Amino acid sequence: MVSLVRAELRKLLGLPTAWIGLVLGTLTAPVIVLLNAPYTRRAIAAGTLTDTTDLGLRDLGIGLIGPMILGVIVVSSEYTSTGPDAPGARQLTTTLTAVPSRRRLLAAKTTALILVVAAQAAVTAAATLTLTQVLHGEHAPTPAPARVAAAILYWTLTALLAYAITLITRNGIVPLTLLIINSSVVSVSYLLTKVTDLAAYLPDIAGAQMFIRSADVPVEIAPLTAGLVMTAWVVALLAVGAVLFHRRDV
Amino acid sequence: MITIDRVSKTKSRTRILYDVSFEARPGRVTGFLGPNGAGKTSTLRILLGLDRPQSGTALICGRPYRKLDRPLTTVGALLDGSGAHRARTARAHLRWVAASNGLPDRRADEVLEVVGLTSDARKRAGQFSLGMSRRLGLATALLGDPEVLVLDEPVNGLDPAGMRWIREFLKDSAAEGRTVLLSSHLMGELAEIADDVIVIDKGRVVIQGGLADVTGGHRTLEDAFLALTAAEEGGSW
Repeated sequence: MVSLVRAELRKLLGLPTAWIGLVLGTLTAPVIVLLNAPYTRRAIAAGTLTDTTDLGLRDLGIGLIGPMILGVIVVSSEYTSTGPDAPGARQLTTTLTAVPSRRRLLAAKTTALILVVAAQAAVTAAATLTLTQVLHGEHAPTPAPARVAAAILYWTLTALLAYAITLITRNGIVPLTLLIINSSVVSVSYLLTKVTDLAAYLPDIAGAQMFIRSADVPVEIAPLTAGLVMTAWVVALLAVGAVLFHRRDV
Repeated sequence: MITIDRVSKTKSRTRILYDVSFEARPGRVTGFLGPNGAGKTSTLRILLGLDRPQSGTALICGRPYRKLDRPLTTVGALLDGSGAHRARTARAHLRWVAASNGLPDRRADEVLEVVGLTSDARKRAGQFSLGMSRRLGLATALLGDPEVLVLDEPVNGLDPAGMRWIREFLKDSAAEGRTVLLSSHLMGELAEIADDVIVIDKGRVVIQGGLADVTGGHRTLEDAFLALTAAEEGGSW
């Protein structure tokens, strides 16, 4: 199993797109903290920003594009055509002749993805929170380790969510577009919370409450419950994706 | 040893294989011959555990492919294209495949040398010509030094020198005691290297046996093949 995970790590980190995801995801949150620093200082000075417990942590909600790209391409790279000479040929054929057990292959892929994203999230969290301390030291309370761990978990679960959806769609473009738009341009999930309280239990909305306290949501969910709600989403979608992957012809 | 026993397959409600049965034995080159769309690739994909048959079994050394542990050390397979992601270099591709079966990194360079791609090791697979892609696919098949080779249309896209090279390579492999199964729609190619021949048409095996038996009373394998596959439709393929 160790050799399978090592092979999957090599495969993932050998893709140029993976490095786009790693760099973008790791830099976005710290850069936003930097860019927002003057505004944040003025808001604290003017007294409009009184609750500073989420400073830094809130910025970790951005930069999710990194784990999303990583989660999607772990699967979509298997389905990309290898070239115009053989339009139907895909890397997946090589993968499954090398590792014919679908169950073991998915276990290795999942483990490799978790390792990479958790490491990325840890580095990003450390950079973002340190920068917040340096810029707004006297106002930004040092966040509790549990909240930082929850933010890392949120990133990892987001990557797994993207991964599970791509296992179902077998194509990276649709899930990546939808996920990125939803997390950056127009948050459909957030808009839905204005329509129905149930939308508070969508994975991205619920999951963020694991580590962000003052979220603008209709239903406040305790951090532990929030984690369980998001995990349930991920497990359910992964189960569907795994069953389909097992049953389909390549 | 490859044993295919009464394999049937239906795809999108169309029956594409009807009770296909044959064997490929060690020490021999077995040619799997048929027109395009006859069911050659479908049979090989089932043999390699990529697709599932509706009924029947396909065994390699007595076991279904999906049950093989570190399968690359038993079977080397070449299907369509190089099997490498376009953005990966030839060496990086071979190294991850090697790692997945617990093989050392140096195997990547060794097989690149065997197929004559050493100077292209750092090139991305997406920049490879058709012939180079086939060589990279073959290099992947050879990583685990397998006793069984399963090759789907291996000469497609190769230049004459490449064709001659692969012919010699497969003959040598069989002479070393390996089981070699290759599909082709090129009769001339198979007639030169195959010891045994299986002819498939419209999802059914129409004849199998030693090259001489299959050629039978016909002047060449090509004549025999045309007579066998054209019986129904006047050779319209």
